[in-house]
Amino acid sequence: MNAQMLTGNSGLRRPSLSSIPLLLLRFRAYLALIVLVVLFAATSPAFLTVRNLIIVAEQVAVFAILGVGMTFVILGAGIDLSVGSVAGLAAMVAGGLISQGLRIPFFDVAIFSNVAITCVITLAVGTAVGVVNGVFITRLRVTPFIQTLGMLYVARGAAQLISDGATYGDLTGQTSLGNTGFLILGNGRFLGLPYAIWIMIGLAAIATWVMRRTVFGMQVYALGGNERAAELSGVRTDRVKIYTYAISGFCAALAGLIIAARLGAANPAIGTTYELNAIAVVVLGGASLFGGLGTIGGTIIGAFVLGVLSNGMVLLGVSDFWQTVITGAVIIFAVVIDQLQRRAEKAAAVRSAARQQHVGTDTPAS
Amino acid sequence: MTGNEQLAAPDRAEEHAVFSARGVSKVYPGTTALRDVDFDVLAGRVNVLIGENGAGKSTLMKILAGIERPTAGRLSFEGQPYDVASPREAMALGIGIVHQELNLFPNLSVAQNLFVGRERRGIGGTLRRGEQRRIARDVFERMGQPIDVDALVSELSIGRQQIVEIARVLVSDVRILILDEPTSSLSEDEVAVLFRLLSELRQQGVAIVYISHRLEELIEIGDTFTVLRDGALIETGWRDQVDIPWLVERMVGSRVEGPYRQVPADHRPDPDAATVLAVENLQLPDAVGGRLLDDVSFRVTQGEIVGFYGLMGAGRTELFETLIGLRRASAGRVTVAGRELAVGDDVATRIAAGLALVPEDRQRLGLVQSQSVARNIALTHLKHYTRVTGLDFGAMKNDVQRMIDELLIKVSDPDVLVSALSGGNQQKAVVGKNLLTEPKVLLLDEPTRGIDIKARRELFEIMDRLARQGLTILYASSDLNEITGGADRVLVMAEGRITADLRRAELTEDALVGSAQVQRLEKDRLA
Amino acid sequence: MNNKFSFKRVTLALMTGLCLSLAWCGAAAAADFDPGKHLIAVITPSHSNPFYKTEADTAVAAARKMGYKTSSLVHQGDPDVQLKMIQNAIADNASAIVLDNAGSDASVAAVRRARDAGIPVYLIDREINANGVANAQIVSNNFQCASSVAQHFAKTAGYKGKWVELFGKSSDTNAHVRSQGFHSVMDDIPTMKMVAQQSANWDQTEGYNVMQSIIQAHSDIAGVLAGNDTMALGAAAALKNAGMSNVPVMGIDGNPDVVDQIASGGNIRATGLQQASVMARMAVQQIDGLLRTGKTDKPEKQSVNCVLVTEKNADQVLPGGFGMKKK
Repeated sequence: MNAQMLTGNSGLRRPSLSSIPLLLLRFRAYLALIVLVVLFAATSPAFLTVRNLIIVAEQVAVFAILGVGMTFVILGAGIDLSVGSVAGLAAMVAGGLISQGLRIPFFDVAIFSNVAITCVITLAVGTAVGVVNGVFITRLRVTPFIQTLGMLYVARGAAQLISDGATYGDLTGQTSLGNTGFLILGNGRFLGLPYAIWIMIGLAAIATWVMRRTVFGMQVYALGGNERAAELSGVRTDRVKIYTYAISGFCAALAGLIIAARLGAANPAIGTTYELNAIAVVVLGGASLFGGLGTIGGTIIGAFVLGVLSNGMVLLGVSDFWQTVITGAVIIFAVVIDQLQRRAEKAAAVRSAARQQHVGTDTPAS
Repeated sequence: MTGNEQLAAPDRAEEHAVFSARGVSKVYPGTTALRDVDFDVLAGRVNVLIGENGAGKSTLMKILAGIERPTAGRLSFEGQPYDVASPREAMALGIGIVHQELNLFPNLSVAQNLFVGRERRGIGGTLRRGEQRRIARDVFERMGQPIDVDALVSELSIGRQQIVEIARVLVSDVRILILDEPTSSLSEDEVAVLFRLLSELRQQGVAIVYISHRLEELIEIGDTFTVLRDGALIETGWRDQVDIPWLVERMVGSRVEGPYRQVPADHRPDPDAATVLAVENLQLPDAVGGRLLDDVSFRVTQGEIVGFYGLMGAGRTELFETLIGLRRASAGRVTVAGRELAVGDDVATRIAAGLALVPEDRQRLGLVQSQSVARNIALTHLKHYTRVTGLDFGAMKNDVQRMIDELLIKVSDPDVLVSALSGGNQQKAVVGKNLLTEPKVLLLDEPTRGIDIKARRELFEIMDRLARQGLTILYASSDLNEITGGADRVLVMAEGRITADLRRAELTEDALVGSAQVQRLEKDRLA
Repeated sequence: MNNKFSFKRVTLALMTGLCLSLAWCGAAAAADFDPGKHLIAVITPSHSNPFYKTEADTAVAAARKMGYKTSSLVHQGDPDVQLKMIQNAIADNASAIVLDNAGSDASVAAVRRARDAGIPVYLIDREINANGVANAQIVSNNFQCASSVAQHFAKTAGYKGKWVELFGKSSDTNAHVRSQGFHSVMDDIPTMKMVAQQSANWDQTEGYNVMQSIIQAHSDIAGVLAGNDTMALGAAAALKNAGMSNVPVMGIDGNPDVVDQIASGGNIRATGLQQASVMARMAVQQIDGLLRTGKTDKPEKQSVNCVLVTEKNADQVLPGGFGMKKK
């Protein structure tokens, strides 16, 4: 009876909480992060300084933001390979609007917008690309992999077309045009932390709330768990999917803006292969690529694991080639551990259920 | 069928147990599937395993086939301790299992399917196709089944596919053949073929373990009968002492008699009740220019329980799927509570209009297996819990608990994964989530498929109660007892058409079966 | 007299002592400077490309020889990664950065960050579109390089015929500068006509593919000018496979594979060798001077001419390429 009461009282039935190895496994992402931090702090004096930690967080921000968008898509059992290119496209859109303005054909005039509007337009462009992905995937039944792979090329090409492949070198803006201030997004600080970090924190908080406390969040999990069942339950699966890709596009554009603001320049090559980093971050955070399993918090931790790893290895002077190898190995290892955890959790649940049975019946088995 | 007479009075002392289990328990998170069970598999016998859903039959078989390992207990195979870690090892010992669900590769040929995982290899890992096809042909010949070994499995009928599934096991030397609900998708003729095959195997000394819900079938084929209930062994009996009442009594725990619903034969719902669902001239084309639904029209009044009877492929599932919006009709009108529904509605709109469907395949269509019972039940109704601050989990929990109580869903905690529930309880969860939307019309497609007698009864009691509260219920079933015993009115379907509309008083097996067949006969004549 | 003399002697002695002590002081100041406490971060686009590898290796070797700590980072040509690497160098308390940048416009902000953190940046190989941000921009004179290659090319072709230009990545300023260098010579020769100009994005495979297509349209070309050696290698392979091994190809950079071809009589006949090793060494020497004395006497913009390598002087090239043996 006791065991039953205990698990009954805990609300969420997590009988395995009593097992320490399992606890370690469950919080492995945090553990991995702690281990990395301790390791680098011990070996590199420059690592555990406020200045370096802020740098790490600032570097992590872009991947975390891309990862948050990717998490929505992956939880809905999709994939978005276009985020890197969309980030590049967004950077070029913002760069173009600031340096050249919006050119009106035939009239030979250009309209310059202030920075806030520029950012809104850019984010809208990213969101629109996501919507296009979503619509093609749902309405025209293109598989997500192919659709977003195609979009990877289309968006990159579009980014190059905006400037004919050239770089917008100076995004300072001109006071006379009233479009200065973009660089603040990259250089500005609030309470000592760069804006990119605040944006990451804000986005993660909102995304966590959406995933855990809104109908949409629940529906994304259901969609990823069993699309047909979700549809039969009245979930407008097509619409939910389009939203996830739109969110991913929005996040990609946001990442693109931050990169461009930090560089003070917009280059069509910005964000090349970042889609792979975003996927890696989500997977490191414990999400399943089959959908339905994963959290925003996990993704943020995953981003920090990759960020700390790369920063620490640079400080330690690990060769570039080994950095690449180690990063890959860490991703694979994370997934292996993930599988181990699922298995161990199942076994622990079985053991705990067996204990309940012993307590609950008069005649213990065997 | 044949040969049973000679085995009617076996000398029990001479029986040889190929496999025996002693004191076996198996515990899953949320459920105890087996509790201290003893079970013998006798050579040259059909060992029937019977019990309600969730009684533990499938679990016991999974343990036997090496798919699962027991939490406690001893197993022995031919006197040796039995400790296999995978189905592959079990297969090497000659233990083959034919699952309830088909596990074939539709993209491969029949012969290739037979050898998946144990391909005949030539030098350097090349495939010996010729040898495989020869062995495959031999197997089907032995089974008396003229199946083209080069045909793609996707081209075969479901019945044929089931035969192929059995043939897969027979390709290797089999000592124990486990059949889990092998006849659920077979026609009469195909069942007869299967039974002939089993008799033959039995005479060759193969031990057969047979699991089914169809009691008549069991009585016909079985030698020993082991009844499980709630994961515990109730009794094992021999064919000379066992009849259907004996089985039912032990399965259910107490004698149950009579029809599913206690309603007088002349019962009809309020004649003045309003029409809730009106379907007019509904047409649904299939991919090759034929019609899955052909001019279907009917009306249902509030509080009515209408059964849809028909053979497989009669169009009942298609009708329900069209009503709920999964398929788009090419013509026709559907009116719910006086409001005509647009043809292109999606499922969500149809649900909002007052329809709800409990699908036949609850694993694939009904539930999100990776989520909890509570999440699954609440999924249809999420919008009702939206607050400015996010979802109101308290209100959600109350509703879920209400459904669990109302539908008697056996679950220790609503936060348990839905996949940990037994089939019957999973089905109740699917019903529960559809009731939460407070539909006007509830569609149930084969609601009792894979569900035990007790749960069936409970389900019909619930349906009765809901109908009295004013819910209109349409259900499809292929089980005559369920149709005659459960419905106020029965619509018989055949070949995508409604061929009969029978009141409760008019329900006879002859009338039902006759109406279900009539189109087929006409078609034969035309051909 | 005596007094006077003694006065002189005292003065002399004092002067000598002063000088000595001054010298001693100077020596003491030099001895106080410990290069082992200073980190020089070398950031280049990659370690897999031989040119950048030479840059990185030469800079690191030169700094180590002087006793500095070094770190060698790569930015993969990605300005965002470049910013990260500069941030990492800042976090690592580097005393100076040697940088081959990731784009003339996109690198300005990154270099500025380092300067704001008080770390001098010495750019090598390519410049950025801002003055006064980096301490020095030691670049190859790409224009001189391209025009000298083009002069040799025109001579080899006998001042007549159709020629083809393979263009670098259009977002890279160097691609344009080199092209202008080619055209400054070629456009003045009326008997030579450019029949195709295509970008191969600095890439060998693209160079091969683009050349293959061009051959289909123009089977009678007199030669190919490539914006860099990698594209030249691709083009040379395409020509060779098409049986056109007499068509000369010329590139820029001084890639060791190209130098081998020049020496052994392949399609590639010449290249403008960029002295990567010279630039890297110059940067480290100037950093050393800055750290020791706190000031620099060199202008920000410094250019290093490249060396035309033909079959005559191919044996003078360093084994790793991108530099000439000292005479």
